Order: sequence, then C-alpha cells, then structure tokens
Amino acid sequence: MPPRAGDLGVDPSTLPKPIRDELQKSDPVALDTSAKELKDGTNHCPKCAATDIRPKAGTDLLICAFCRHEWQGERVEEQFGFGAGHDQLSGTTIASGARDIAADAAMLRSFKCTGCGAEVTINTQSEMTARCHWCRHVFGVNEQISNGAVPDAVLPFHIRKDDAVARIRQFVDKRKLFALKEFKEQFTPENVISVYLPYMIVDGKASVDVAGKGEIETRRYTRGDGNNKKTYYDADVYQVERRVDFTVDDLPLESSRERSNLDTRANTNNIINTILPFDTKNAVKWNAQYLRGCSSEKRDLDVSHLQPRLADQMLSIARAQVESSVGRYDRGVRWEKEGIDVHGSRWVSMYLPVWLYSYHQPGDKGGLLHYIAVNGRTGETMGSVPVQNWKLILVSLTAGTFLEGLVIWGLVQSS
Amino acid sequence: MNDDSGLALLLLGPAGAVGLYWALYRYYRNTDKSHAFERESKVEAKPVSGSDHKVGTNNGTRDSRIAGDNVSEYRQRVQRAR
Repeated sequence: MPPRAGDLGVDPSTLPKPIRDELQKSDPVALDTSAKELKDGTNHCPKCAATDIRPKAGTDLLICAFCRHEWQGERVEEQFGFGAGHDQLSGTTIASGARDIAADAAMLRSFKCTGCGAEVTINTQSEMTARCHWCRHVFGVNEQISNGAVPDAVLPFHIRKDDAVARIRQFVDKRKLFALKEFKEQFTPENVISVYLPYMIVDGKASVDVAGKGEIETRRYTRGDGNNKKTYYDADVYQVERRVDFTVDDLPLESSRERSNLDTRANTNNIINTILPFDTKNAVKWNAQYLRGCSSEKRDLDVSHLQPRLADQMLSIARAQVESSVGRYDRGVRWEKEGIDVHGSRWVSMYLPVWLYSYHQPGDKGGLLHYIAVNGRTGETMGSVPVQNWKLILVSLTAGTFLEGLVIWGLVQSS
Repeated sequence: MNDDSGLALLLLGPAGAVGLYWALYRYYRNTDKSHAFERESKVEAKPVSGSDHKVGTNNGTRDSRIAGDNVSEYRQRVQRAR
C-alpha cells in the first residue's frame, strides 16, 4: 500500500531541526463546509419533515411543497468567515468543496432511499436531484463527493424565466439588421435554460512589483514649411518602478475546463465570462434542492490548475492599481518587467446561476455555438449574434465607396 | 495639396469600409468583451510605493507616445521577474 500523501515513513523527531520544522508545518487548511445533516441525500422540511422541497423563485428561500413552510439557507459568508480576514491570508486555504477531484470518482452516484430502501441513481454530470421512483422521496446530492460536482455554496436564481426571456429578446432586437437569416427564423428565447455553472471564488493577498520606462515631454516643435511641416518631440526618459500590496475579494474563476477556454475564434464562452461578477456575498450553504428544475455543469479543474490564472489576474489588477501613480509621464509608460508574490489565497467552490440561450451555427470544424447569457442575479445580459456576412460586407463596401467618392470629388475640386 | 496627403485621403474609403465592418461585427458578436475584473473586483490596496530615476533623453522623435506604451494594457503580460 503506498504511503499517504505527505507521509515520510520516518519519525520527524529523529531528523535535523530545519527538516523537522518544514515537515511539521501546517498543511493547506481545508474549511469544512459539508452539510452533515443532509448527508443521507434527503433534505427534510424543518417543520413537517417532508422531502418535497424546492427553491422559491426569485428569492434565496426554500419552500416545502407539502406544508408551504419557507426558510432561508445559511449564508456561507458569515458562517465560514469568507468575508473577513483578507489581510491575514497566508498560504493556500481550500474549502472542502473545492478540494482536488479524485481521478477515479464516478459521475453516477447511487443512493439508498431512506424512505423505502430502493436504489436511486443520479448522474452528477448534469443533475443534482432525483425523485425515488417507488415512494416519491426527493433526493439531492448533498454529500461532498470527490468528483467535483458538489460545491461549498450555491447562489440561487433571482431573475425569473419571463424576465430572462424579455432581456434576451431585447438584446437580439437591437441586433437584427445584419443577423444570420436562420438565426432570426429559429429565434425562440422561450427555450432558454437555467444552468448552474461551476466557479471558484477566490480571495487573495499579494504584492506586485513592476518596472519599466516612462517618458515626459520636454519640447514640441515643427520643422519644414508648407505641406512638409513635421512635428518633433523631445522627452526625458525615466526608469520607473512601482510596488503595490493589495487584497482582492471574491474573484470569480471558471472552474470548468471547457468554460474557461475563452478563445473567441473557437467558442463564445467569453459571453458567459462577461456577465460576471455575481453578488457572491449572498451565496448560501450547498443544498441540492436549490438546483431542482435546473441543470448544472460539473467542476473539473482543481485549485492547482487555477493558480496561474489567479496570478495572471492579480498582475492585471496591480497594473490597473499603479496606473494613477504614473500620470506625470505624459508620453506613457512601457512596463518591461513584473513580478508577483501571492502571500495567501482562499478558495471556495460555488455554483452560479445563468440563463443560457444557445444557437448552433453550422460551418467548418463543427460550426460555432453562439450563446446569449443572462446573469441569474443581476440580469446583466450579453450575447453573440451570428452575422449574415455578405450583407455586412455589402453595406461596408457601399459605405466605403461613398466615402471614397466624396474624397475624389474633394480632390478634383481642390486641384 | 501634395501627393502624400492626396494618397492618404484616398485610403479613407477602404479604411472606412473595414472600420465599419469591424465595428458592426463586434457589436453583433461581442468578441472583444470579457469580465472587467480589474475594475469590477473589490480591491483594497495599500498606497503605491516606488522610485523614478532619469536615465536619458529621447530627443527629436516623431512619435507622440513612448514606443510600446502599455500603461493601460493591463492584461498584456511582460517579462516575469519572479
């Protein structure tokens, strides 16, 4: 049997102090966000113990379909202290729902119904709830299984379907003139689906150093005469160095490999990326019943995969932060080197609500899937509408020809 | 009017056609959009520190900006120091 991860097989007290100290340092802390009371897969109404529980549309409440009792899920922000202590972050803290995905974890999970003992199977790739076909008990995958399907928290939908449909219609109405004919003919925003997409919500603390050259204009003059006048500039060149220490709160990173590929030549995932951010402060502790009637996508990236992206985004944030400090360089700054020390980060996995409308445009290499996405909390809408290329080229050429005609007319007049 | 500026003016037509095409294409397809995390994240930064030393001059240039100006290109990565 292989040793457990981090197990050396030697008593640390027999080793030299520096090695012993290193071995005995604490491991990345995992905050336990699992809901032990829901572990058997059934979520009982606190009042009548029925299991037919659904989210109340437009709110963060759960409602019992039997006795109509309503209750609010616990906010993880307060319960696990995710909203505080950014300045004291040190090392990598991973909440239990964000832990590494086990390579052999199965997508299909079987549960023994606590009502009648039947075996109920749930495909966690896209579903998180099921109903026992014998006794009609409602099940949810509430246990934090190691296949990445169960996050720490979930942010329930606030935008209702009719609102999402209206927003998508409004978005497309503004983009109809040059839209692909087939897209317009098949446009049925009522087919929009509610999806919970997986994200890592990251708090981080970092120091960033940047260095480069900046220029300040000292003189501006013209040489030549008549039509050959040319402007010249004199400038002082400075070596500019800046350092900024900062913390960032609730940075959302896509934790699905497919969704995090934002190559706009191959897909339209940038559309879903654009509707970020969400009010993740209001996320509630995971409860599969919030996902009833919605589909979900499973997380397939671990913290280690996402760490380079976190560093990249923090570098970008730092560059934005130092911009105001180099305002005196009126000819601009060319940053040449940058470095980052991420002192600490805290990772929480979360399902975020998105209304998604899609249209598949046939073409080379399997065509292109166009998305129109509505943020399920804020209603922010973004989309990719396929264009009728010949129409667009024709209009552009016509406008160009008209402009060229005006220029030629002007040149003829002036000569 | 000299030949140079006449030729430049003649390029206005093709440039206008290409410009209009790209503007409309981007309006429909939104390929240039993404989450503006630099602006939209909650960031708490300590005051920026640093140094500035004059290292030379760049006299008689015809460019109105420094070569390779990337002060607003936050996402353009440069050489990593560490």
